This record gives sequence, C-alpha cells and structure tokens, in this order.
Amino acid sequence: MTAIAAISHKLPPQARVWTALLGTALGQAWRAVLAYRLRSVFVTVAVSLGIASLSVITATMEGANRRIDDMVRIFGPDAAFVRGGNMFSRAVGQRTRTISVGDVNELRRSLPGVYIAAPLSFRGSVSLVNGSRNYQKDMVMGSTEDFCRTWDWPLAQGRDISVADMERGESVVLLGMEVASELFGDENPVGRGILLAKTPFTVIGVLSSRGSSGSDEMDYTVAIPLSTMIKRFNQDRHYFQNVRLKFEDPQNMDAHAANVTSLLRYLHGLDGDRPNDFSVVTSLDIQRFINLIKNGLFIFLGITALAAMCVSGFVLANLFYISVSERGTEIGLRKALGAPGLAITLQFLCESVLLTLGGAGLGVIWGMIIGLTVTSTLFSIEFSPFVFVCSLLAAVLVGIVFGLRPARRAAGLEPISALKGQSA
Amino acid sequence: MPKQSRKPAQERSQERALVVRLADLTRTFRQADQEVRVLKGISFEVRRGEFVAIQGASGSGKSTLLQILGLLDRASDGLYELDGQNVSSLDDEALSARRADTTGFVFQNFYLIPYATALENVMLPGLYSGKTHKRGQERAALLLEDVGLGDRMDFLPARLSGGQQQRVALARALYNEPSLILADEPTGQLDSQTSRDIMDLLNKFNREGQTIILVTHDAETAAYAGRRILIKDGLIDSDSGHKP
Repeated sequence: MTAIAAISHKLPPQARVWTALLGTALGQAWRAVLAYRLRSVFVTVAVSLGIASLSVITATMEGANRRIDDMVRIFGPDAAFVRGGNMFSRAVGQRTRTISVGDVNELRRSLPGVYIAAPLSFRGSVSLVNGSRNYQKDMVMGSTEDFCRTWDWPLAQGRDISVADMERGESVVLLGMEVASELFGDENPVGRGILLAKTPFTVIGVLSSRGSSGSDEMDYTVAIPLSTMIKRFNQDRHYFQNVRLKFEDPQNMDAHAANVTSLLRYLHGLDGDRPNDFSVVTSLDIQRFINLIKNGLFIFLGITALAAMCVSGFVLANLFYISVSERGTEIGLRKALGAPGLAITLQFLCESVLLTLGGAGLGVIWGMIIGLTVTSTLFSIEFSPFVFVCSLLAAVLVGIVFGLRPARRAAGLEPISALKGQSA
Repeated sequence: MPKQSRKPAQERSQERALVVRLADLTRTFRQADQEVRVLKGISFEVRRGEFVAIQGASGSGKSTLLQILGLLDRASDGLYELDGQNVSSLDDEALSARRADTTGFVFQNFYLIPYATALENVMLPGLYSGKTHKRGQERAALLLEDVGLGDRMDFLPARLSGGQQQRVALARALYNEPSLILADEPTGQLDSQTSRDIMDLLNKFNREGQTIILVTHDAETAAYAGRRILIKDGLIDSDSGHKP
C-alpha cells in the first residue's frame, strides 16, 4: 500500500484517484481474506483444483512441443528419409528393397537442393562380444562415409567412417555411448577389437550421447560401413532399404518431398494411379504426426480443464454471494461512511482475485505433483515459466469474471437496508 | 406548533453558522399501490455547535428524518441544505462523497468491522474521504485516548464490551472532523451506567464545538441535548428552540 502511495504522487489526478481506490481496496481485501479464513480456504482449494488441471494440460502441451522440437532436431530439420516398399500394400518379403544404386545416383545428381543422398541398410540380431562382455544388438546399421554429417551426430571420441573404409569394405565400427559402456565399461574403446557377428571388427569411434534429449535407444546405435555390411552379411548389392537425403533450404521440405516422389515414380516407371513402391518421410511429417496426437490430447484435456475451472469459478461466486449477504452491515457501514460503489466493487474483486491467485499457486503445486507421478512415454509434463504465467492469468480471469457479480451486488446494496439487515 | 423560520435579512450574518437547513421536507414511500407519507413537511435549522435531540415514538418518522439528514436517503420534496449547500438533488455518488466529508455516524448497534482493530476502525472514514490526514494513525490514537480506550487500540471489536465498542464508534465519527455528528439511538443497546458515560462523552464533544443531532425515543437520553424537537406523525410537534 505504501508502494502504491509512493507511485501515485507521480500520476495525473484521475489515475491518482484510481490508484488510491485500488490501494485502499487491496488493503481492506487482504484483511478480509485473512479474517474469513474458512471462505478463503474453500475458494483457494476449489480454484487450485481447476488451476491444477489447467497447468497439467499446459505443461503437457509444452512437453509435447519440446518433444516435437527434439525429434525434429534429431531427425534433422533439413532431412528426408526414403524407405523402399509401399508401406500400405507390401507383400511380406516382397519389394522391400526397391531403391536401387541407380536411384540413389539419380537422386544425388538431378534432385534440386540435395547435398547428401546416403543409402543405408540394416541387419537384425547381431551379437557383439568383447572378451567376456557380451551384448545382443537387435539392429546394426550399414552407413556410407561421413556418418556424422549425414546424421548431424557428432563423435565423442575417435574418427568417422571414411571413403577408404567404404571403398575397401573395412571391418570398422562406430558405437553408441551406451553400447560402448556395455562392452568396455570405463575403458577407451577406440582402437580396440570386438567380435561383431563372430567377425573381428575394430572400434574407430564413439558417438556422443543423445539420451538426454532423444530416445534412449539412440545411444545403442551400432554402425559399420555399408560396403562391409553388404559383403559380410551377403546383402543385395543393387538395392537398398533406405536413403537419407539432406537438403539445402529446410523451409521447402514439402516441395523437396514432392520432388523426390515424382523423380522416384519416374525412375520406377510408375504412372497414373499405380501406388508408390516407396515412402518419403520428412521432419514435417513427424511434426504433423505428433501434432495430431497433441491436438487430440489438447481437446480432451482442455475440456476437462475448462470444466474444472468453471466449477471452481461457480464455487467462488457462490461463496462470495454468501459472504456478501453475511457482511451486509460491513458493506452498509462502509457506504454510510462515504465509500462509493466503485470502492466496494473493487474491494470484493480484490478479495476474489487474491484468493484465486492463492489458488493458482496451490494449483501449480498440485500440477507438479501430478506431473511427477504421472509419466507418459510420449510426452513429458514440463513446468516452464509459461505454465505459471498461464495459470496466473487464468486465475485472475476467474477471479474477475466470477467475482464481479457478487461484488456488484455488494456495491448496489442500500446503506440503510444493509445496516438493518443484521442486529447486534 | 412547528416553528416556521424564514430568515429575515438582518439575520443573514448568522447564515454562515447554519449547518442544517430544512424547508418543507417530505418523504413518501410507495408500498404496493399505496403511498405512505412518512414525513409531511419538516422545517428547522441547526446552527453550528448545537446539540439537538429529535424525539418521537417508533413510526413517527424520526429515523427516516435522520437518514435524510445523514444523506443515506433523499427527500421526496422540499429543501435540504447542509453546510450551506443544497444537497436535495445530488446523485448517489455525489451523496457518498458529501457523506464522507461532512457527516459522522453513531449507530445503535455500533457497527464496527469485526476483522479490524479499534484503531483501524477509527481510521475507516479516512479511506473514503477526500480529506487526507498526514498523521491519520496519530489522530486516531488521540481520539481513542479521548474516549478512554488508549490501552485497547489493537483490540478486535469482539474483545471489547458494548460500551467500549460504542466509544470506538464515537472516535470513528469524529475522525474526519465532520460538520455534523448523527447519532441513532446511541444508547439503545447499553445499560444505564454505560449509557450515561456515552452521553457524557457526546456532551463533552458538543462543548468542544461539535454539532450533534441525536435521534431517540428515550426522554432521559434526550435530556442531555440543549434543544429537543419532538416529531409526531411526520410533523414537528414541538421545538424547544435554539440555545446560545
């Protein structure tokens, strides 16, 4: 109140009147909030439940957005992934490898904006052995040279797969952080030998950890040169499972994806209505997919939160109506002493907003407890400053919207009848 | 007979000293389809420093008159000048502002704010008044000492006796230095000894120059006032007249 008084001297007269009114109202409201404890507790708890559901949904949306950002960053905002085979109508074991060496060369040569077109293959169920330590990996990746640049994934130690490794089909391997520690513990694995599918390989590098921002599985990646994979595991030399593409201007990913599709359809001789025998995925597709889930969640959680907020608002209005009729003499007295209607309205609005702000604080705490106990594999519930700001704004809104009618009713009381309403 | 006082020109010097001037004041309430005339034409003047008791049986219209005098209600017709200003036609907000600056109330039921201390209750009129007290707290403390509650300033009303609560209300009524104190049956809830104490305090304030109008049905209480106006059926029945 003293702070408000200090500021008010520097304001024009009209504003000074308002700050004086508001300062008085706040001071009186604070006393009433402390005095009518039961009402304060009920309103605060009721509002906190609404705010809790609101903050959980806001935090979930925040978590989902962060998840999208992470996934897009890890996938590569400028990247596209071409998979062989029609994902909707492929027959088992058939036409999964439809991307030929020629296709890759053509993509690299004639696609506008592309600067990397890297084919890759996978091999399932591979055992990795270092002495007595043994690790069963369900998927090993065959990659071309420049793994790090292709996947935007820096090394923690050692070196990348080189052109020479590719040309000679060297038995070298890159290990993800977790695989490295499974096989070598705290020792430095670079330069050491392991048995990969009973064949000796040399570890040339360890990939940096992505566990914190992405999925844990990223740190279990094992990558060898594509040429080595084809040679060792007798894979098809002419067709690949996947191609990773990277483009120069990531703003036009949809156009790039359309270019890739039409080029591959032309190369594969697909015309008219015949379905694609490949599929193209970009970071935009990942965003769209997660957004779909996010929006679904938003609607259902949003309705719940809205309902909860309305219920707490009505509880507040109800308790304030009771309070106004109980405090008729106080209101009548204030009016008899010269309080204008506005001063009474402001006092009750301040009481209501103070309580809803308290409810917001408590509600965010509930929300954080919910966030800690309920963990989702898809989205994490994250409490950022944005969530707090949203909760505070919603609380102020509820306080004003639902407090206004009781406050106006108090302001409209006739001083005489309000004073007579209660005998001592 | 009611004393109809139209001021002659030679008495104009005394106009400045008038706190209240009522001329042919009426108040009509509408109940269902019936019009009930509660005040049927009241005229009197109160000079600065007077202590006036308005007496009357219940239903005589004395409470309505007090509410109009205290700007809590408006006359249906007639003139009301308070401090030389015509207040008959002011709107609600203007009445509030006048109320804050010119009148102090003492009610039968004390009406203190239950969650505020004695000191804060005394300072309450200052919240809504245009008059600013630089040392409001000191002033309130002095007033509480004046009414004999210097040692109970931080008490909540619930911890004070009825007489003590009414003393706080007296101090509150004085806080804004009003032109007029209006007391509505101030001793109605008190025993006789406490009543005498309260009336003695009012008398003391009056001797210090405070204008007071008191409404009561009790002759013993009215006897404290220098001037008594008796209201009967909405008209002035008798007026003992100004006392110097």
